[in-house]
Amino acid sequence: MEAVKNAFDFGDMPRSELWLAALALAFLLWFPAMPHSSFGMATMIQFLMFSLYGMGWNLIGGYGGQVDLGKAQYVGIGAYTTAVMMIRWDVPFWFSMPVGMALAVGWSFIIGYPLFRLKGHYFAIATIATSLVLKDLFEVWNFVGGARGLEIPMKGDMPNWLYLQFREDYYYYYVILGMLLVGLIYMNGFRHSRLGYQLRAIKDNEHVARSLGIDVHWSKIKAYAMATAYVAMVGSFHACYNFNIEPEDTMSLDLSVLIAMMAMLGGAGSMWGPIIGAAILVPMKNYLGSWLGGQAGFAGMDLAMYGLIIMIIAAAQPRGVYGIVEAMRARRR
Amino acid sequence: MEELGIQILKSAVSGLIMGLVFALVALGLTVIFGVMDIVNFAHGEFLMVGMYTTLLTSPLLGVDPVLTLPLAGLVGAVLGVMCYFGLIRFLLRGPMIAQLFGTFGLMIFLRNLALLFMGSEPRIIHEGWLVGKSILVGPGVVLESTKVAAAALSLISFAVVWWFINRTRVGKAITATSLDAEGARYMGISTEYMNALAWAVGGASVGVAGGLLVNFWPVEPGVGLLFTMIAFATVALGGFGSVRGALVAGILIGFIVNLPPVWDAILRSIDAAGLRGMEIHSFKYTMVYAVYFLIMVLRPQGLFGWKQ
Repeated sequence: MEAVKNAFDFGDMPRSELWLAALALAFLLWFPAMPHSSFGMATMIQFLMFSLYGMGWNLIGGYGGQVDLGKAQYVGIGAYTTAVMMIRWDVPFWFSMPVGMALAVGWSFIIGYPLFRLKGHYFAIATIATSLVLKDLFEVWNFVGGARGLEIPMKGDMPNWLYLQFREDYYYYYVILGMLLVGLIYMNGFRHSRLGYQLRAIKDNEHVARSLGIDVHWSKIKAYAMATAYVAMVGSFHACYNFNIEPEDTMSLDLSVLIAMMAMLGGAGSMWGPIIGAAILVPMKNYLGSWLGGQAGFAGMDLAMYGLIIMIIAAAQPRGVYGIVEAMRARRR
Repeated sequence: MEELGIQILKSAVSGLIMGLVFALVALGLTVIFGVMDIVNFAHGEFLMVGMYTTLLTSPLLGVDPVLTLPLAGLVGAVLGVMCYFGLIRFLLRGPMIAQLFGTFGLMIFLRNLALLFMGSEPRIIHEGWLVGKSILVGPGVVLESTKVAAAALSLISFAVVWWFINRTRVGKAITATSLDAEGARYMGISTEYMNALAWAVGGASVGVAGGLLVNFWPVEPGVGLLFTMIAFATVALGGFGSVRGALVAGILIGFIVNLPPVWDAILRSIDAAGLRGMEIHSFKYTMVYAVYFLIMVLRPQGLFGWKQ
């Protein structure tokens, strides 16, 4: 009961933030009713997906300070579990999603145990390595379609809630928005939980945390597993939303980097950071990418600009946009 | 059986030679890491810049690709110093997370800048003193002279860097900075200058490596990642910050990358029905990632490492 109460307790946040969040939620709920292009809708869905990815990254990378650059492998596990179960055994989404999450969490325990003996850069690079190994394996594994990937067959009757197949995008939109709300509430509970405090203590100083009796290794693994569950959940959704998955777009390093980048840009270690980051980067990526890359013929320009922005953020304000807001708030006081 | 013997010989020779090239790629990373504990994710992109430098300047100046190597080194060094003063100096003030992301941003920036200017099609050098010639080592074992030259120049580069770090006054100052930056400052060493110098040496060595590599490896904007990972694996195996370790580990990685063809040849020679379909040649570079992971977990300090 305590945990549930904590999850709905937003009392420690500044009033202004809560008002802004309520306003944003109202906008998000109302968005499909507004006139919008299908590209705009796809961008919004991507924004919500990346908010959740970013929240998962933030759980271990932001609160725990363990920079993970291999999140894409869990996106892949979630997406592939759903796709394989749907194609081969006709299993509904709502059943295969938890299975995918469980498989991803299991894998995260297996690699997390040795991974968390490493720190800092070593950890980050090792997560890249595991992710790339898994991707290479999937590319030659015929059971999951190899490098060509899998395609989920359409069922006749739409909308199909069980298999998450809709003709109109706004169904997907509300599904992923619901997932985001659940994720936010869970994250809020995590912030107040014992593990949440332990993780922040580990981030500040591992030696002190250990001397206070925190099992550093185990806490990190647990938090990593939770982060994995977030990412795998959205991975499953990704499979249903895109109908078509391949190793290159679900498990590539680029995806891992994008996930981490958004959370970093918004502000690692804060509740709203990943959402702010996704709200800035996803529309920028889509619109700049289609404008510069597609129409003006400057392929690469948009991503080069990201690189520049990330460098500037990392050099000037490592705590991201939310860090700037906090610094301003502190100055006003 | 004869095929197996040839394959083993082929893999051994090719492993040694590619290993020397990998070692040269990793040299810059280990020098920079040794001096200032910073991991440069953009290392492979520095290599790409060196590759493009040789590819573009050789027809422009009308000289052989081999003669543009000093230029590739110079471009690498200038790029390294620019990155140090423009980015890394600011990153050092922030937390570790900022350093990671700063160099990651640099990687994305350089890669896509290359995509913008050079396009995405792979390119390689078609004409030159070395291109197209080969040496017959044994029955069925042919070596391309580009690779042999690259391996030889890699050894020379190692000798130069080793001499520079261990035998010159400036090199000793670099070593002092890497052992204890604060102590070095008390001794009147300008650590700022030493850091920049390490970036220059690192950039130059990887630039030369790029200039050599483009003779037999097509360059495209995304070429960096594989080499970044190979360099990380090499440096991890040799020990972060160890020049000698990078050389030994590079050769070992070269052998490891050439193991899968041997395995496939064994499978073919014994021709066991149950083992058919177990060829692993497509896992050539997956082995590198796996090796990196195993080393980091089992022996984080590497073979010759003195930094944890």
